[in-house]
Amino acid sequence: MLNVKDRDLVIPGQLLGENLYHDLNCFRENNHVYSSVEGMVRIEGKRVKVIPSTGIYIPKEDDVIIGVITNVLVDIFFVDINSPYNCSMRGEEVSKDAMKKDLSRYLKVGDIITAKISEVNEVYSCQLIRPWKIEGGLIIDVNPKRVPRVIGKRRSMLNMIKEKTKSKIIVGQNGKIWIKGGNVDLAVRIIKRIERYAQTRGLTDKIAEILKKES
Amino acid sequence: MVLIKDGKRLDGRDFDELRDVKMEVSVLERAVGSAYMEWGKNKVMAAVYGPRELHPKFLQDPTKALLRCTYNLAPFSVEERKRPGPDRRSVEISKVTTEALSSVVMLEKFPNTVIDVFIEILQADAGTRCVGLTAASLALADAGIPMRDLVAACSAGKIQGEIVVDLMKEEDNYGECDLPLAIIPRKGEVVLLQMDGKLTKDEFKKAYELAFKGAMKVYEMQKNTLLGSMKRFVGEGGNDDGN
Repeated sequence: MLNVKDRDLVIPGQLLGENLYHDLNCFRENNHVYSSVEGMVRIEGKRVKVIPSTGIYIPKEDDVIIGVITNVLVDIFFVDINSPYNCSMRGEEVSKDAMKKDLSRYLKVGDIITAKISEVNEVYSCQLIRPWKIEGGLIIDVNPKRVPRVIGKRRSMLNMIKEKTKSKIIVGQNGKIWIKGGNVDLAVRIIKRIERYAQTRGLTDKIAEILKKES
Repeated sequence: MVLIKDGKRLDGRDFDELRDVKMEVSVLERAVGSAYMEWGKNKVMAAVYGPRELHPKFLQDPTKALLRCTYNLAPFSVEERKRPGPDRRSVEISKVTTEALSSVVMLEKFPNTVIDVFIEILQADAGTRCVGLTAASLALADAGIPMRDLVAACSAGKIQGEIVVDLMKEEDNYGECDLPLAIIPRKGEVVLLQMDGKLTKDEFKKAYELAFKGAMKVYEMQKNTLLGSMKRFVGEGGNDDGN
């Protein structure tokens, strides 16, 4: 039994319904399912979830992120990934015999990389693989919980922005977005707009319209 | 001092009437979540930072996050300048606020981290711990931190033999008793209950009832504030020219 409709706004502790399956950002007490964050309810059959309106980034396996090297040790890099948890990368990712070479030849403190999270443990410490050094361009911040909207279903939104602005764009799941070349100004404006109106219906159409008008 | 005149209180309120409450969220740019509240003459700002890395490291708990509330009374918030910095009173209020909020925040979701809550009293007019706690719970919700429910608070007390809700400064200073109460509205559980002064058993029951009803009213306002703040993100089609 449902107490809310699809796309309703909810606050923490609000009753969503009874005898439901629950997904992200909900919790159950005596067969009653409640929301645990403020956000928007999505219902699929008997399954409910809440899309949060805001929040911090929690590392997840297979996420592509953009981070900053904070420390280089003998065979390990430490990376700041805009999250409260520590994140490291093995030296073998940049060199075959990492122990013999000085790793700062490849990546120095302060260098910005994009990489994939290969492994996350139970206290959310994570390992990165396949780093790629980012040079030039600019990086903008968006709320990590709204990044999925910037990418869109099957990357539709991102491909559209890339095509219209002719920019190179890498979207980090941790809320950092790198943009280089093309119409950077327009790309930044569009992404900020998507962040602002993240949960709007028909957002892709609206953004397509703006892109068409301005490019 | 005469506190009750012709069945009304000094500011013309009934015995079971709250002062005007104004709430606003997302007021600070750099905080993860924030709230500003005006409750009568009280003006309170609450800000949430985190979850973030906890230092010193020995305080880290791999099973849950640490919640750290800091209640601070600004030097200019009261009539006579208050010496800045923590004192016995604000340390105590920080502690009880932390304990009240710990029962709703899902700390187990963020191991090894800390969630910092700063409550700044810019203008005080009795009942600041209730206002601070209410604002802090709004700020936590605004920060997107998972919670089991909001916390709503309200005080009651006894002035000239009458049990009244939501004391203001004169009533607090010259009254007989003050009873701040914070609840989890969904279950009706009590997370903070203090008493300054004396009440008989029957008086306590009546004061508790009044404070509880007041807190429920505050909860409704919290709910509307949060829902109102979210409307910005789901506005139809994003039609205004925000950018």
